[in-house]
Amino acid sequence: MSALVADRLSHWFGSEPALDSVDLVVDRGDHVAILGENGAGKTTLLRILATAMRPSSGKLEIMGLDALRERRRLRGRIGYLAHAPGLYPALTAAENLAFFCDLRGADRERVPEMLDLAGLSEVARKRASELSRGMQQRLAIARAVLHDPLLLILDEPDASLDAEGSELLVRVMKDRTTVLATHDQALATRLCQRTVVLRKGRVLGAGSRLRVVQ
Amino acid sequence: MTNYLRASVLALALMLAAAGMIFLFAPTDALQGDVQRIFYLHVSSAIAAYGCFAVVLLGGIVYLWKDSLVADRLARAGALVGVVLTTVTLVMGMLWAKPIWGTFWTWDARLTSTLVLWIIYAGYLLVRRLAAPGRQAARFAAVVGIFGFVDVPIVHFSVTWWRTQHPGPVVINDALPPEMLATFLFTMVCTLFLAGVLIAIRYRIETLLDARPVAAVVSAPTQTEPAR
Amino acid sequence: MSEWRTRELVPALAQFVVLALVIANFGFQIDSRNASAIAPGVLWLALVFAGLIAFGRAFAAEREQATLEAMLMTGAPASAIFAGKALAAGLLLVVCEAVLLPALGLLFGVDVSAGLVGAVLLATIGMAALGCLFAAMVAQLRARELLLPLLTLPLWIPFIVAGGQAVQSAMGGSGAFDQAVKLLLDFDILFVVLTSLAARFVLDD
Repeated sequence: MSALVADRLSHWFGSEPALDSVDLVVDRGDHVAILGENGAGKTTLLRILATAMRPSSGKLEIMGLDALRERRRLRGRIGYLAHAPGLYPALTAAENLAFFCDLRGADRERVPEMLDLAGLSEVARKRASELSRGMQQRLAIARAVLHDPLLLILDEPDASLDAEGSELLVRVMKDRTTVLATHDQALATRLCQRTVVLRKGRVLGAGSRLRVVQ
Repeated sequence: MTNYLRASVLALALMLAAAGMIFLFAPTDALQGDVQRIFYLHVSSAIAAYGCFAVVLLGGIVYLWKDSLVADRLARAGALVGVVLTTVTLVMGMLWAKPIWGTFWTWDARLTSTLVLWIIYAGYLLVRRLAAPGRQAARFAAVVGIFGFVDVPIVHFSVTWWRTQHPGPVVINDALPPEMLATFLFTMVCTLFLAGVLIAIRYRIETLLDARPVAAVVSAPTQTEPAR
Repeated sequence: MSEWRTRELVPALAQFVVLALVIANFGFQIDSRNASAIAPGVLWLALVFAGLIAFGRAFAAEREQATLEAMLMTGAPASAIFAGKALAAGLLLVVCEAVLLPALGLLFGVDVSAGLVGAVLLATIGMAALGCLFAAMVAQLRARELLLPLLTLPLWIPFIVAGGQAVQSAMGGSGAFDQAVKLLLDFDILFVVLTSLAARFVLDD
C-alpha cells in the first residue's frame, strides 16, 4: 500500500487555475521534493495533500484512506509545516509545544524531547516572538513531528532555516515518508530521492535526482 | 419559443390579470381609499419573498449536507429573487405608509423584521461575491442563509414582545371582505408563480455561469480505485 | 486555551467604552431625570460597538489565521476550537462590561444591581458565540469592516431587545424582568447550539 496516491488533482480559485491534473504516488519511506517557482502551485498542492484543503476535483488516498472523507482522522497521522509557521507569539516555545501536545492528545513529556531535538532547550522559556526566525522555523518543524506522524508535508522548510535547522530537517525526515516543496534545487537533490517539477500547476517532469535546466 | 419564454409570458399575463383584478374588481376601501390597493401586491411579494428564502434555507442545508451543486445554485437563485421581492415589499410598504400613517416608516414588528430580512440577505449576496468563488462562497452563504432564516421570526417575535411592553402608535387592521380576499389570494398565487419563474430563470443563468471553461464549484469526488 | 493576544485590545476597548459614554452624555443631554430612560440604550449601543471592534480585530491578523489552521491540522474538531475562541471572545466582552457598567453607574447615577449584571452577562453568551462565528467567517473575506456589522447586527437584535428590556426593568423601569431574562436564556441556548454546529463549515474547508 502506497503512503499517498494523488489522482488527477485539480484546483481552481474561481476561474484562476492553480493545479492541473496532478498525479503523484509516494511510497512509504519515500522523500519527494516538489520543485517549482513561486506561483507554480506548490503550496496549493501541499495544502491539499495535507488535508488542509479540498481540491476542486481529483482523488486522494493517504495510507489507504480516502483523504477527502477521512480528513480529521488522517490529520492525526500527518505532520504539516505550513508556509506561515502559525505559532503563538505570546506563548513561550515550551508552551507552544505543550498546547499542541494537548490538542493532539500526545504526552507532554514529548515537549522537552522535541525542544532538545530542535536545539531549543535553552530558549524554552522565551516567547516565540522573541526567537530568531531560524529558531521559529525549528520550533515549527518540531511541532510538526510532535505526534510522531507517518507522513510529513513540509512547505518550504528551508525558508529562514539556520544551520542547526538543516540538521533538524534531516533528522526528522529520516525513516519518515516526506513530501516537501521548495524552489531550491540543491536542497531538493540533497534531501530527496525523487523530484517532481511543477510549473503553472502542471507536472513538468519527475524523476530521481532530476536536473532541471532553466 | 423556449419553455422559459413561455413561462415568462404566462407569468406576465397572470400579473396583468391580477392588476386588472386589483384595480377593477376589488372594491375601494372605506377607510383608506385607493391607496389601500397597494396592499395586495405588498403582502403578496412579502409572502413570495419568504418563500424564496425558504428555498435558500433548504438549498443551504442540502448543500452543507450533501455537497450538492444543484442545491447551491437553487440557493443562489432564491436569494437574488428574494432580495428583489423584499425590496419591492419595503418600497410598496413605504408608499402605503405615507398617506395612511403620515410617516414613511415605523418600528413595529413587521416592518422591522422585513428590514432585517432585507439586510440579512443583502449580506448573503455580498458574502457570495466577496468569498473565494466555489466552495468557500457556497459554504459561507449557506451558513448566513440558515442563520438569517432562523433570525427573522425571532426578531419579529422580539419586537412584538417588546411592543407589548411599550405599545406603539400603529395597529394594522387585517379584516377583509370576500371580494378583497379573493383579489388578494389571486394576486398572491400570481406573485408566487412569478417568483417561481424568476427563480427557474436565475437557476438556468447560474448553471450557465458555472459551466464556464473553468468550473467554479465542483461536488466532492466519489472514491473509486485510482489508476496507478 | 489561553488567547493572550487579545489582551492587547483591552486598554483600547476600555478607553473606547468610556469615550462612548462621554459622547452619549453630550448627545443625549443626560441628567438625573432622564438617566434611567436613556441609560439602557447607551449601554447596549456602547457594548455593541465595542463588541464589533473587538471581534473585528481579534480575528483579523494573518497570524490568527495561521494558528487557527495549525489547530485544525491537529485533527481537533472545529466545534471544540470554536468553543475556545468563543469563550475568549466572551471574556473580551465581559471586560468591556466591567468597565462600562461601573462607569454607567458612576457617570449617570444608575443603580448597577445584580439583576442588571446578570442580564448583561446572559446576553453576552449568545452575542459572543454569534460574533465569534461571523468574525471567523469575515476574517477570510475582503471588506471585512463592512461585512462584520452587516452580518452580526441582525443576529444581535433579539439580544439587544430582550437585554435592553431586562436592563431597563432592572433600573426600575416598567416591564417584565423575568420574561426578558427567560428570553435571553432561550436565545442563548438556540444560538450556542447553532453556532457550534455551523463552526466546522466556517473554520474548515
